[in-house]
Amino acid sequence: MSDQLPSKEDFPEAAVAAVNRSRSRFSLVWVVPVVAALIGGWLVVKALTEKGPQITITFKSAEGLEAGKTKVKFKDVEVGLVEEIRIAEDASHVVLKVQMVREAARFISEHTRFWVVRARVSASAIYGLGTVFSGAYIDVDPGKPGKPATMFTGLEEPPIVTTGLPGRHFILESERRGSVEVGAPIYYRQIRVGEVVAYSLAESGTKIVSKIFVHAPYHEFVKQTTRFWVASGLDIRLNAQGIQVDTESLVSILVGGIAFDSFRNNSDPEEPAAENASFTLYANRELAKERIYSTKNHFVLLFEESVRGLSPGAPVEFRGIPVGQVIDVKSEFDFKMNKVKIPVIAAVEPERISFIGKLPEGVSRERLADYLVERGLRAQLRTGNLLTGQSYVALDFFPNAKPAALVRGGKYGYTEFPTTPTQLEEIGTKLSQLVAKLDRIPLDQIGNDLSATIKGAKRIANSPEIIEAVKSLNAAVKELRLLTVELRTRTAPELNSTLKQAQASLSAAGDMLESGSPLQSRLKETLEELASAARALRVLSDSLERQPQSILTGKEPTE
Amino acid sequence: MKKKALTARKAGLVACTVCHLLSPDGAGRCPRCGAALHSRKPDSIARSWALVMAAAILYIPANVLPMTTVTSLGMVQSDTIMSGVVYFVQSGSWPIALVIFVASVFVPLLKLFILSYLLISVQRKSHFRPKDRTRLYLITEAVGRWSMLDIFVVTILVALVNLGALATIQAGPAALYFAAVVVLTMLAAMSFDPRLIWDVKEKMHE
Repeated sequence: MSDQLPSKEDFPEAAVAAVNRSRSRFSLVWVVPVVAALIGGWLVVKALTEKGPQITITFKSAEGLEAGKTKVKFKDVEVGLVEEIRIAEDASHVVLKVQMVREAARFISEHTRFWVVRARVSASAIYGLGTVFSGAYIDVDPGKPGKPATMFTGLEEPPIVTTGLPGRHFILESERRGSVEVGAPIYYRQIRVGEVVAYSLAESGTKIVSKIFVHAPYHEFVKQTTRFWVASGLDIRLNAQGIQVDTESLVSILVGGIAFDSFRNNSDPEEPAAENASFTLYANRELAKERIYSTKNHFVLLFEESVRGLSPGAPVEFRGIPVGQVIDVKSEFDFKMNKVKIPVIAAVEPERISFIGKLPEGVSRERLADYLVERGLRAQLRTGNLLTGQSYVALDFFPNAKPAALVRGGKYGYTEFPTTPTQLEEIGTKLSQLVAKLDRIPLDQIGNDLSATIKGAKRIANSPEIIEAVKSLNAAVKELRLLTVELRTRTAPELNSTLKQAQASLSAAGDMLESGSPLQSRLKETLEELASAARALRVLSDSLERQPQSILTGKEPTE
Repeated sequence: MKKKALTARKAGLVACTVCHLLSPDGAGRCPRCGAALHSRKPDSIARSWALVMAAAILYIPANVLPMTTVTSLGMVQSDTIMSGVVYFVQSGSWPIALVIFVASVFVPLLKLFILSYLLISVQRKSHFRPKDRTRLYLITEAVGRWSMLDIFVVTILVALVNLGALATIQAGPAALYFAAVVVLTMLAAMSFDPRLIWDVKEKMHE
């Protein structure tokens, strides 16, 4: 078959079939490029539709950022890629061109904030540890909805509070910044509940305005009457009460912080403060606690003695109870009177004292101070702490004080409250009074009388009766000495031998009673025999009780 | 062609593509092994064109989309073929960059161009250097399988580098398109009949 060619006629049907098949195949092959084109087209469409907005972000530095690699993440989901990093024309910052995904267009607005997440360690926390391995990335806080934007200025520091975090912002106003830092913790009963978001100088320049954020659910504890104070690192205060050390936590020692409390003893329900409510930030806990009294009466106290140790903030006490504090201490010299006057301005919170019973006739609430001054109420400078020399103003009743009255509308702008000299000064006056009294004593006459008395005494001492009495006393002493010698030589040895005998007999008795001694063992045997005899007697009495006839008939034999 | 050689077609014969038995032209099947008999590969040019075009279309996503996605210590990096080449060039590994470039970029592209050129030249009944063109075809066929190198490398890497959080490599969508390009170009080369190059010459001599 190999050398002979088969003729065409041998396979006529097959040839026809082959031709037909080749015709029908023609169009099928083109399915392949059509499918390829469809796939390609689908990919192009997908790429175009998934492409989101292209935005520009500026940063001070591109540390850790890499074009084509650094991602933009929102809630750790990739939403963009840094495509290009270049230096701005004025070379003051870097400009990042970022391609965002399509979904990002929904939340990017003019309020959106961007910042670079790098590993950073601060005194209060460690952030972005994951970026040590994965490299820095850009984080997004969408912010509230607003107009769409494509140009953004990146934050150099991560924001403390991102949008959507449950909680509430509050505004704190203070005279000094103290140790308040951005990110400093907020404490409520020593639990960390929030952070300081920002602080700035008020436009007037007279106070610091801090913005804080308290996380949910703790923001409910910020009431309208809540007081905030600086829980600065370590609060050491030296005052009339001695040394006080206060702190909220170890972190607050390092970075400071703010604490708040309501200082309310009653549990009346109170409305939580609204978002962005404004509060005063007190310098320390004591101040925050004290200023709960809203009514304050300012007085000026005129002292003439030294006010050493009296500083603004020193307490005003009424019999040991703080009722106010010193606001200011001034000094002036009156040429007319040739006297130094020290006006001390004090704020007194009269609400701290409660009154029992009705006010006396003709005395109104406003005139109560006048009434009390009439009754002898005076201000006095006292030393509170001998160690530190801190002074305070004491209010007390001095019934013997010179009559005085409140002077309203004086030149100081405050009501003048009468004062009384300090105790030390009082002692001085008392001492001079004493000296004056001593002066009046008739010392000469006393001396004459005294010498006459001494003369009489001498006369008595030299009388013969006295000499005789001394002689007989001497003889009595001699006899007493003889008696003593007898006692020592004769009675003492006898007593000694008696004691020795007693000791010997006691030790013999001890030997006899010692355990293991013959007496003891014999005693033991005797006791045991006695016990067995008693047992036998009991058995006998039992059997007699049961069978009284046995005493006559003898014991019945048991089976 | 100085010496006129007899071709099977001229003799009215058809060679079986499987057992190489010569049968009379027009016979549907090889009488010895039963394979379909064709004097020339049926619809050779149309089929080749279709496959070349499909390969050319898929060549674009194969190069644009990421070939591998490397996750190393939380850092995710997607690489296309070209970015891989650029990476190796930048890191100084010139030989590896060259191998990847030749096997994955140059060879498929070369195949597509050669096949397109051969198809156009056959369709235009070109007389230009039939011997060299045949050599080009042989190169295309011989080199075709080596393009799969990239796919194999990716396959091995995906299987080997699976160290959990430390490092993992995942094949990207480009791997699929690239494999399709390689397979389609190989099929296109197979469906092209190099004898068509010489048919023009023969007709001219007739």
